[in-house]
Amino acid sequence: MIRIEHLQKTYPGVTPLVDVNATIDDGNVIAVIGPSGTGKSTLLRCINLLERPSGGDIWLDETKITDPKCDMESVRRRIGMVFQSFNLFPHLTVIGNIMLAQVDILKRSRQEAYDRGMELLQMVGLSKKAYSYPEELSGGQKQRIAIARTLAMDPDVLLLDEPTSALDPTMVGEVQAVISELAKSGRTMMIVTHEMEFARAVANRVFYMDEGVIYEDGTPEEIFEDPKKELTRRFVRKLKVFEAVIEKRRHDFVEFGAQLDRYLQKNDAPPAVKYRIRLAIEELVQQILLPHYKEPFIRIRAAYEKQNRTCSLVVTYKGEPFDIGDTDNTLSLSILQSTSAELKYAFDEKEEEPNRVEILLGAPKV
Amino acid sequence: MICENRCRCGYTGKIAGILLVVSLLMMGGLMTVHASDAKTITSKADLNSEDIRIGVGEGGFAEQTVEHEFPKAQRLYMSHIDGLQAVAQGKIDAFVFERNQLEYAIATGRTGVRLLDENMEEENHIAVGISPVSKIDHLEDKLNAFIDELKADGTLDEMHKRWVIKKDESFPDYSLPEHPEYHLTVGTTGIVPLFNYYKDNQLSGYDIELAYRFARWLNADLEFKVYDFKGIVPAAVSGDVDCIMAELNVTPERKESIPFSQDLFVEKVGIMVRDESAAAAGDGSFLDSIKESFDKNFIREERWRMFLDGILTTLLITVLSIVFGTLLGFAVFMLCRNGNPVANAITGVLNWLIRGMPLVVLLMILYYIIFGGMDISGVTVSVFAFTLTFGGAVYGLLKIGVGAVEAGQYEAAYALGYSRGRTFFRIILPQALPHVIEAYQGEVVTLVKATAIVGYIAVQDLTKAGDIVRGRTYEAFFPLIAITIIYFVLEGMLGFLVSRIRIRISSRLGRKEKILKGVRLHDPD
Repeated sequence: MIRIEHLQKTYPGVTPLVDVNATIDDGNVIAVIGPSGTGKSTLLRCINLLERPSGGDIWLDETKITDPKCDMESVRRRIGMVFQSFNLFPHLTVIGNIMLAQVDILKRSRQEAYDRGMELLQMVGLSKKAYSYPEELSGGQKQRIAIARTLAMDPDVLLLDEPTSALDPTMVGEVQAVISELAKSGRTMMIVTHEMEFARAVANRVFYMDEGVIYEDGTPEEIFEDPKKELTRRFVRKLKVFEAVIEKRRHDFVEFGAQLDRYLQKNDAPPAVKYRIRLAIEELVQQILLPHYKEPFIRIRAAYEKQNRTCSLVVTYKGEPFDIGDTDNTLSLSILQSTSAELKYAFDEKEEEPNRVEILLGAPKV
Repeated sequence: MICENRCRCGYTGKIAGILLVVSLLMMGGLMTVHASDAKTITSKADLNSEDIRIGVGEGGFAEQTVEHEFPKAQRLYMSHIDGLQAVAQGKIDAFVFERNQLEYAIATGRTGVRLLDENMEEENHIAVGISPVSKIDHLEDKLNAFIDELKADGTLDEMHKRWVIKKDESFPDYSLPEHPEYHLTVGTTGIVPLFNYYKDNQLSGYDIELAYRFARWLNADLEFKVYDFKGIVPAAVSGDVDCIMAELNVTPERKESIPFSQDLFVEKVGIMVRDESAAAAGDGSFLDSIKESFDKNFIREERWRMFLDGILTTLLITVLSIVFGTLLGFAVFMLCRNGNPVANAITGVLNWLIRGMPLVVLLMILYYIIFGGMDISGVTVSVFAFTLTFGGAVYGLLKIGVGAVEAGQYEAAYALGYSRGRTFFRIILPQALPHVIEAYQGEVVTLVKATAIVGYIAVQDLTKAGDIVRGRTYEAFFPLIAITIIYFVLEGMLGFLVSRIRIRISSRLGRKEKILKGVRLHDPD
């Protein structure tokens, strides 16, 4: 059990942790989510004392680990950590990486360490790579080795600091699979992640962190389906809906595209959907609307439905009524029509942006 | 990939080195050709001209007399060994030096040179230089009294006649007192034939005999220290020696630094010029001359022993400096590693001082100033100096190597439960060393070469041995090529040792990891 009381961490100029309080029971698998820069990683690093807290206390069972007299090494031995950047030892083979601390710290015999290492490599599916060097492995393989290395120390608690953030999208799955498997084993775990689907699937408890505190604490259903507090609600809605405003003809569409991609990736949208949405937005906004308005104000909202793999696109804009059906650019219009399952235009002068185009993009054929 | 490139660089480096040597030899040939165009000098009247280059001994008497008599000529400073070589090759037009030395050189086979009949107007006063801080009381008075006695009974004249005029090189047998009152340390150079030179690998000559006689007269124990001409007066100033018996010229500058005894004798200063006829004629077949040179430089008087002693001294200094320097660099790095501001500031200043100073200057400062009054051998001071410089290099390499290891490696180790110290030795250092071991190998080679300057502080290393042999044989080619080859061999040997270490510390170079030793491996399915 870990108890955190009034934990504070201050750096010159920033205070990522203002006042963190939590009790983590044995068997909790906690996903720590929240916007960037809200102290999620700092919290993890304080728990295994890679960062010295500026104030407050942390207890690991009955040991007050923030006590200066506390033996840091023995605390860290009980708390395993998996890093975003793997941090494998490049001068050692895979099996050497896993054996070294077992022999040095746990004083296991080399044979015991080797046997345990091979067992864990089997578990993460990499026993064939035992004698490879880290640089010969892919990112996903490296992270699985890093997890095996941490598990070899038999930690009571496992901390994972954005374990898949540094990975190629194609490799995220293999690492998440290993972590999901671990989560079922009843080990106490804390995972900082930006993969919401993964967080929801793997965790039995979610910390939403914002403003330097654990802003909301609940089950995955509570946090993702029915958040109680305002910031959580906004965060969760943003996860579900992509929104952007275009106020210039020369908008930065490269950055726009990158943000859209990030949203779609978070929501596990397949590439086919991504291309459809981009095509629809390009034809509608860049080809039809922007040439029409000298001073445009266009709001784009996109929402991807994972269940039926459809995507709804709502584009509202200010200015005189302009039905896109009347555009001169018939080529773009016909492309738009052939891409979308439904295409509707409406004008309502009571609205801030009176023009409204609704498009439903159907599921791509498999 | 990087390593491969470096290896290739090393290889091309060797080729470049060979090309350089070849082109230098060719240039030597060209110079000889060029020199044969130079005008023939028949009398002193030809020498006072702007396009005449005259070689003079460094800091000696010849320099002033040349300035008086040939004010227009350019003066170049060199030892008499190099001077005779330079005259023969036409690099300089004349070399001015003690006449008896020049005569002896011709008598012992120096070819391609010729002595003018005329001498310089001024004569050279030879005396004993005295340390102003000698532990022997009233040394100057005692020396003068001793010389008075020798002059009165004709011994000094007899010695001069026997050594210098008759060139009788047999050294009389002198016993030293059994119950000495004093300890007399005499500085000498060992490269002035007939005065103080190595005969059968023993110091011999007029000055040496004089030293023995004086020691007996004084009832003293006798010790010789061998210096370069440049270092010998400072040695007396600092009290490293009690007196200098090295056919020392009395010059006004030297008189300002140290007192001199009364003159031992006065000698004529001669002028050596190039002998065109001999140079053009050549002597005997090429092969014969090589055989002759080899015999002269290595076999005769067992001169190879000088080289062997030199090699051992060079190796001793190098190996000890490597060992101590590595330990020192490592120790200092460990002290500074945790960012202790005091340790870092001190290290920074010292490192800046030591690395910014020419090595030879550092060496002389240590020898003559810092350890000046103490009875410490030149070898010890050399090891100390090179330990400092090598330690500085090792410290710098460690900083680079350890700095190249990412912060994440420390965190991973801490998170596994390693303490700070064990993290450094088990995780960080094994990664840092492969980064810098190749540069370390380079530092070792640099160090071997750098030790060539220890002759300045009375250490007879390999280079100094070559100088001494050259002083006897008046040949440049054989001794210089020989020591070059020996240096290459030494560098190769030490480099090989370091590359063995390189394989040990880098498990990637085909060695099974230590951690898997003795483990029963089961093949992964």
